[in-house]
Amino acid sequence: MVVSDRFENRVYSEVSESGDALIIRVAGHFDFNLHREFQRAYRNVIPAPEKFVVDLSETEHLDSAALGMLLLLRDYCVEAGREGAEPEVELVNPNAHVSHILTVSNFDRIFSIR
Amino acid sequence: MSDFRILIVDPDAREIATLQTLIQDWEYTSDQGGARPALVCAVEGVEQAISIYEEFHPELIVLGPSAAVTASAPELRRLRQQSGIEPVPILFVQEVKDSGAAPEPLGGCDDILIKPYSPALVQLKLASIRRFCEFNRSLIAQRDRLRRHHADFLQEQANARQIFSNLGNESCLDVTPGIRYHLSPRAVLNGDLLAATHSPDGKLVLMLGDFAGHGLAAAVGAVPLTSIFYSMVPRGFSFNRVLREINRKLHDILPRQMFCCLVMLELDPRRNHLRLLNAGMPSPCLKSANGELRMLESRHLPLGVLAADQIERSVVNLRVRPGDRLYLWSDGIHEARNGEGEHFGEARLLELLGNDGGAIDESAFERILVAVNAHASQQHDDLSLVELDLTDESLMQSTCAEQECSGERRGGRIGEWSIKLRLAETELRNADPLPHLLSILAQMPGAARFQEELAIALSELFRNALEHGVLGLDSSLKCTDEGFVHYYDLMAERRSQLDSGWISISLRCRDWGGGGELFLEVEDSGAGFPHVSEAKGIYSGRGLGLLQTVCRQVDSRPGSSHVLAVIEWGEPVSEEATPP
Repeated sequence: MVVSDRFENRVYSEVSESGDALIIRVAGHFDFNLHREFQRAYRNVIPAPEKFVVDLSETEHLDSAALGMLLLLRDYCVEAGREGAEPEVELVNPNAHVSHILTVSNFDRIFSIR
Repeated sequence: MSDFRILIVDPDAREIATLQTLIQDWEYTSDQGGARPALVCAVEGVEQAISIYEEFHPELIVLGPSAAVTASAPELRRLRQQSGIEPVPILFVQEVKDSGAAPEPLGGCDDILIKPYSPALVQLKLASIRRFCEFNRSLIAQRDRLRRHHADFLQEQANARQIFSNLGNESCLDVTPGIRYHLSPRAVLNGDLLAATHSPDGKLVLMLGDFAGHGLAAAVGAVPLTSIFYSMVPRGFSFNRVLREINRKLHDILPRQMFCCLVMLELDPRRNHLRLLNAGMPSPCLKSANGELRMLESRHLPLGVLAADQIERSVVNLRVRPGDRLYLWSDGIHEARNGEGEHFGEARLLELLGNDGGAIDESAFERILVAVNAHASQQHDDLSLVELDLTDESLMQSTCAEQECSGERRGGRIGEWSIKLRLAETELRNADPLPHLLSILAQMPGAARFQEELAIALSELFRNALEHGVLGLDSSLKCTDEGFVHYYDLMAERRSQLDSGWISISLRCRDWGGGGELFLEVEDSGAGFPHVSEAKGIYSGRGLGLLQTVCRQVDSRPGSSHVLAVIEWGEPVSEEATPP
């Protein structure tokens, strides 16, 4: 039986050095198969960080389901903002291909990308 | 819980009794927690075993020492065949005469019990076989469950496909030679969607969409999307209005992580005007007759992401030239991967479109399909491709042409009535009076007969009053390519900032039984028609020609903004007076 590598852990999260941001790193193909892991990475972080940084430096490809997951994260922040300061979401280090996908979908209008 | 069924085969009753005792002892000694009790059935020979098989349905077969020696290979094979795909182990009892010699391997069995029996070994073996059978039973039960689920799933998919293909029944995709398309049969369940129809005044509106996600969840969004499309476009709602409604509806009903990438275009073949909104789809490519390619990048977020839209700002206006073709595709083409995982990519697509040396290439559509399929030979087909010949003559023909011919303009009375409507600046900023007027008229019995003429005449007159009268735009701007685009940009800008002006529309109908006349009068707050010859007047180009084809009479006077157009049907008054 072939077990695809997609089931390996490919979402890592860590608190930034300054301590105010949660960095979520997604390696390889950012797609529907990661949705549970990705949600687990940002939910139930107490206290909520000031900022969620999605590090895309190891992301090779990103599909529409991944864009949907980013929207869910954005929504989660809006929800969190009802009780306190609304955390920001930042997408960082996309490669050229991923960056193109984000631009085509005009996600640069609703996320800060650097 | 059913029993663990053991079938013992031996002609010798004493052997059977010994085996039965062993099994009973095993049952006494083994921990029965959760395990199924054993049920034993004994027969004399393999033939009897086969005949009782169906009824007893054993999970383990034990051939006693005599039966094991005498059973023939064909008999054993038949015995095994009884069990079908379920592996039912067959044990042979083998007598070992002089202790120490290893038992000879026997064909046709799965394992052996050695006689004289060591109760401990026999019990171990029975216990492990029972575990094996239990495991096997649960596997088979799971397999059956999966099969049932899968059958249900396929049925649901078939139902969904049926629903979605019915949704597409209103499309004009298959009756317009100017449109060629390929949608994989799986398209709907990948969230891809293609729809096209005509507005009442003869514009072609087409959309190619791609819902985020996979499977049925992605496909359900297609229902509100197509129903809005097919209900609003044929009623004459404006392009922006339809898009705004789609965005609003999708935002309201879709879960947050779902949205729809969409290209929607409106082609006015009479004005050679193409409007297009790309919201998150791969750039469509406009290929001109001289081989030049122009990509129409996405300028809007996918629909359904935000409640607020920026449709006005994101629509591009293009002038269509003879031989222009437009190619639309879903990301299935870009992302088709070959054995090495390499994407097909936009570069390959453009190369295929561009390398024909500028000649009008009839086969670019096929070439793309062939190349993508060759590239991704192992992948299932999930690509959508549309080629639109923007100047194909079939696009000029109105959709209602056939109905008109067959209907022969007969029908009930239309009646004598009049309507007057006046729109002030607030309404003119974003009003869409056409659908409302048309819907009033559609309720008049028999009015469907000249709905198309009415829609064309009304929309021409309204546009002229708005664009030239109220907004003061000059048609001559449209003579150059930049001017053409500038004209529409300017129109959107002036319209959104409009702070004075009005348009009045009045309709008056006369009906004399066998025929009738509809008078359309449109007037606006503008300066009126210029004092120049008609060829250079406001109705320069196609507008006037078009009005004259649908109206018996079109009157306008220089210096006045008042226009009268008359649509006529049935027998003229004069002829009615003279008997045939």
